[in-house]
Amino acid sequence: MSSAHETAGRLPAEPEKATLEGRNKILGFWLFLAAEVVLFGTLFASFIALRNQVPEGPTANELFNLSMVAISTFILLTSSLTSVLATMALHRHHLNGLLGWMAVTVLLGAAFLILEIYEFYEYAHLGHKFASSAFATSFYTLVGFHGAHVLFGVMWITTLILQTFRKGLTVVTAPKFYVAGLYWHFIDVVWVFIFTIVYLMGKVG
Amino acid sequence: MAHSHAVKRYSGIMDWLTTVDHKKIGILYLAAGALFFILGGLEAILIRVQLLYPDQELFVGDTFNQLLTMHGTTMIFLAAMPLVFGFMNAVVPLQIGARDVAFPFVNALGFWLFFLGGLLLNLSWFLGGAPDAGWTAYPPLAGSQFSGRGVDFYVLGLQISGIGTLIGAINFLVTIINMRAPGMSFMRMPLFTWTSFITSTLILFAFPALTVGLVELMFDRIFGGAFFDVAKGGNVVLWQHLFWIFGHPEVYILVLPAFGIISEVVSTFSKKRLFGYSSMVFATVLIGFLAFMTWVHHMFTVGLGPIANAIFSVATMAIAIPTGVKIFNWLFTMWGGQIQFTTANLWAVGFIPSFVIGGMTGVMLAAPPADFQYHDTYFVVGHFHYVIVGGVVFGLFAGAYYWWPKMFGRLLNETLGKWHFWTFFIGFHLTFFPQHFLGLMGMPRRVFTYLPNQGLDEGNFVSTIGAFLMGVGTVIFLINIVVSVSKKYAASADPWDGRTLEWSIPSPAPEYNFAQTPLVRGLDALWKEKMAGNKGMTPAEPLGPIHMPSPSILPLIMSIGLFIAGFGFMYHQYVLCIIGIGITFVCMLLRSVFDDHGWHIEKEELEKKGAEA
Amino acid sequence: MSAHQDPSSAEGRPYKHEGPKNHYITFILSILLTMFAFAAVIYGDLDRGFVLWFLSILAIVQAVFQLVYWMHMKDRGHAYAILYMVMGAIIALTAFAAAVYWMWW
Repeated sequence: MSSAHETAGRLPAEPEKATLEGRNKILGFWLFLAAEVVLFGTLFASFIALRNQVPEGPTANELFNLSMVAISTFILLTSSLTSVLATMALHRHHLNGLLGWMAVTVLLGAAFLILEIYEFYEYAHLGHKFASSAFATSFYTLVGFHGAHVLFGVMWITTLILQTFRKGLTVVTAPKFYVAGLYWHFIDVVWVFIFTIVYLMGKVG
Repeated sequence: MAHSHAVKRYSGIMDWLTTVDHKKIGILYLAAGALFFILGGLEAILIRVQLLYPDQELFVGDTFNQLLTMHGTTMIFLAAMPLVFGFMNAVVPLQIGARDVAFPFVNALGFWLFFLGGLLLNLSWFLGGAPDAGWTAYPPLAGSQFSGRGVDFYVLGLQISGIGTLIGAINFLVTIINMRAPGMSFMRMPLFTWTSFITSTLILFAFPALTVGLVELMFDRIFGGAFFDVAKGGNVVLWQHLFWIFGHPEVYILVLPAFGIISEVVSTFSKKRLFGYSSMVFATVLIGFLAFMTWVHHMFTVGLGPIANAIFSVATMAIAIPTGVKIFNWLFTMWGGQIQFTTANLWAVGFIPSFVIGGMTGVMLAAPPADFQYHDTYFVVGHFHYVIVGGVVFGLFAGAYYWWPKMFGRLLNETLGKWHFWTFFIGFHLTFFPQHFLGLMGMPRRVFTYLPNQGLDEGNFVSTIGAFLMGVGTVIFLINIVVSVSKKYAASADPWDGRTLEWSIPSPAPEYNFAQTPLVRGLDALWKEKMAGNKGMTPAEPLGPIHMPSPSILPLIMSIGLFIAGFGFMYHQYVLCIIGIGITFVCMLLRSVFDDHGWHIEKEELEKKGAEA
Repeated sequence: MSAHQDPSSAEGRPYKHEGPKNHYITFILSILLTMFAFAAVIYGDLDRGFVLWFLSILAIVQAVFQLVYWMHMKDRGHAYAILYMVMGAIIALTAFAAAVYWMWW
C-alpha cells in the first residue's frame, strides 16, 4: 500500500473523495449538518413561539432596518457564491484559485459580522437588550448563534488557507476545504430563513 | 517499509488516556457507565430506605429532591447511555468486519466529553448541592428564582456530555455506512449493528433539541434571559416541548440497542437464525421514526387540548405495533430451537415478559383520559422502570455475559451469573410491580414520605425489600467481574458457537481486529461459513501492512477545557470560560494543522501472530 | 484510516465540472427571490396571511436551490446526505408545529 502522501504532483479528479478518510469526512459532515438542521430548527421554533412577546421594549416592526438586512443578505449570499467558485478551483486543481476565492469568502464573512455587531449595538441603545423581553432573548440567541457559526467559519477557513500555503493541495487537504465549503453554504441557507422569519415576518407582524 | 516518523506507543495509564482504539474506548465507556450505575443505584437505595416506612425523616425535603434528581439523571445519561455506547464500540466494528471506526480521534473525544460532563454534574454533591428539580428540570422550578446552583451543574454537565454523545453517534453512522466488509450489504448486517445504526440516527436528531433547551435554560439562569420568564413574555411550555422532543427519542435510544442484544443472544442460544429478519429491520426503522412523533404524551395534562392529545395518543399506541412484531419474532426464534440457558440467555428470556409488561402499561398511559389519573403518580414510575430496567438493563446484562469473552478473553462465571440473575430479577419485580398499585391508589411520585394507614404501607415496604435484593444482585455481579478478571485468559475465540463475525477472531480481539478483511457471503456471516464446512471466514484481501491511527492526548485536554469553561459559566467567572474554551480551540487548531498519518503493523508481525494463534 | 489512493478515481485529469453556469444561475435566482421577499413586505397593502405563506415558500425554494446546486446534492453519491437532511427537516417541522399550535392558548 502506498504512503499517505500524494506523489508526483498528480491529483485524482475529485481529490476530496479519493481516499476513504475523505469520503468519511464528507459523509460525517453532512450528518452533522442534518443535526444542525434540527438545532437551528428548534431555535427557530423557540423564536416563532416568542416573537410577539414584548411586554416592554421596542417590537420587531419598530426595530428592524430592512436596508441593512438587505445589505447583509447580499454580502453573505455573495460569499456563498465565492465559496462555490473556490470548490470549482479545487476540482480544477487550481491552488491559487482555491485560496483566492476562499480568502474573498472570509473577507465577506467578516464584513457580515461587523455589520451584525453594529446592528446589535444599535438595538441595545434603542432599549432592545438580551434580558429585555422573551422576544429579545430569543432574537439574540437565534441570530447570535448564527453569527457565532459565521465567526467559527471565518476562523476555520482562515486556518485552512494558512496551512495549505505550506502543505499544498493534496488528498489530505482537499476534503478539509470541501467540508468547509459545505459548512459555509449551510450557514447561508440558515440566513435565508433568518431574514425571512426574523426580519421580514417581524416587519409584517 | 519503515516510516520516517517515530511511532508513538504508550503503556499503562497513558495508554488508556490517549487511546483511539474503539475496543479500549468501549471498555472505558463500560467502566465509567458501571461506576455511575453504582452511584445511581446508591441514590435509589437511599430513596427506597426513606420510603420504607411512612413518616420517616432520614432524607427529606431538598435532600430527597437531590437524590431523586440525581438518580434519574445519572442512570439515564451517565449509566445507561455509556453502557450502550460501550457495547456499540466494542462490538459494531467487529460485526461489520471493519478494522476500526471512521473517526477514532472523535470517538475518544466523545468518551472524554461524556466522562468530564458526568464528573462535573456529580461534583455538585460537594459544591453546594446537587440539582433538585427532577431529571426533567421544568422551569419555573428550574429557574434561578426557585433553584440553587445545583441546576447549573445539571445544565452544564449534560451539555458537555451531550456533545460527546452526538459526535459518537456521527462516528457510528459513518462507520456503518462506509466501512462494512465486502459482501456485507445492509440486509446482511447483524441486528445489533442495525439497532446501533438506528439509535445513532435518533441521537443525531434528538440531542440538538436538548442542546437548545439547555442553552435556553442556561441563558435564563446565568445571563438573565427571558425564554421561560413569564413576566417578560416567556413560556414554560416551550421547555417542555424541547425537553420531550429530545426525551422521548432518548428512551428509544436506550432500548433499541438492548433489542439488538436480545436478537443476537436469543438466536445464538437457540442455535437458530433470527426469525423474520427483514421485519425486525423494518420494525426497528419504524420505531425510530415514530419515536419522534410521540413526545406530547408526556404533556397530556398540560392543557394543549383534545386534538393534540388525540394525535399523540394514536401515535404512541402505534409504536406498540412494531415493538410487538419484535417480541413475536424473538419467541418464534426460540420455538423449535435448541435452547441453552446460559446466563446471557437467562437475561434475554427474562427481558421478554418484563419488557412486555412495561410496554403494556405504556399503552395504558397512552390514553389521555386515563393518563389524567396516572400522570405524576407511582404508576408512571412503575411503567418506566419496567421498560428501562426490565428492558435496557436486562439487555445490557445479557450483552455483558455474551460479549465478555470477546472483550476480555475470559468468561464470566456461570454459577455466579445465575445467582446474579435470580436475585436481581426477583428483586426487580418486587421493587416495581407494587408501584403500579401504589400509583393507582393515589401515591404521587417525587414525594419524600406518605401518611400511614392509607393503603400505601405494604407496597412501599415490599418495594424497598426488592431494591435491597437488586443491590445484592449487583454486588454478586461485581464479584463475578473480579473473579473473572483475576483468572488467566481462558476463553476461546468462539465460546458460544456464534453466528456473527466477531466470533471469527481471537478473544480478546487483536488490536487490528481482522488480520485480513473477511468476505461476507450471507446473513449470519460466520454461521454461513460453518454450515459450508469452513473453519473460519474467507479473506477478501491478501495479508499486508495494516494502517493504525495514532494515539492522542488531545481529546482528554479538549474535554478538560470545556470542563473548566463549565465552571466559569456556573460561577460567572468569565475569564475561566475564555481560558477553557481557548484550550479547546487550541487543541482543535493543533489537530487541524498537524495531520495524523498513523502507523503501520507490518506483514511480518501479522504472520507471526497468525502462527502463534 | 489509510489515506492511500482510491484506485477507481481517475488520475491526473481535472474534474470535468459542468462549468459555473448553474452556480451563477443559482446566485441570480437567490437574489431575485430575496428581492421578491423584501418587496412583498415593503409594499405594504397585501393580506398578512398571504404574505407570511409567500415568504415561507420563497425561503424554501431558495434554500432548496442552494442545497441542490451549491452543495452538490444533485450529484451522485449524495443519497445519505439527502435522506438525512430531509429527516432533519421533518423533525424541525414538528418543532415548528409545536411552536405554532401547541404553545399559546
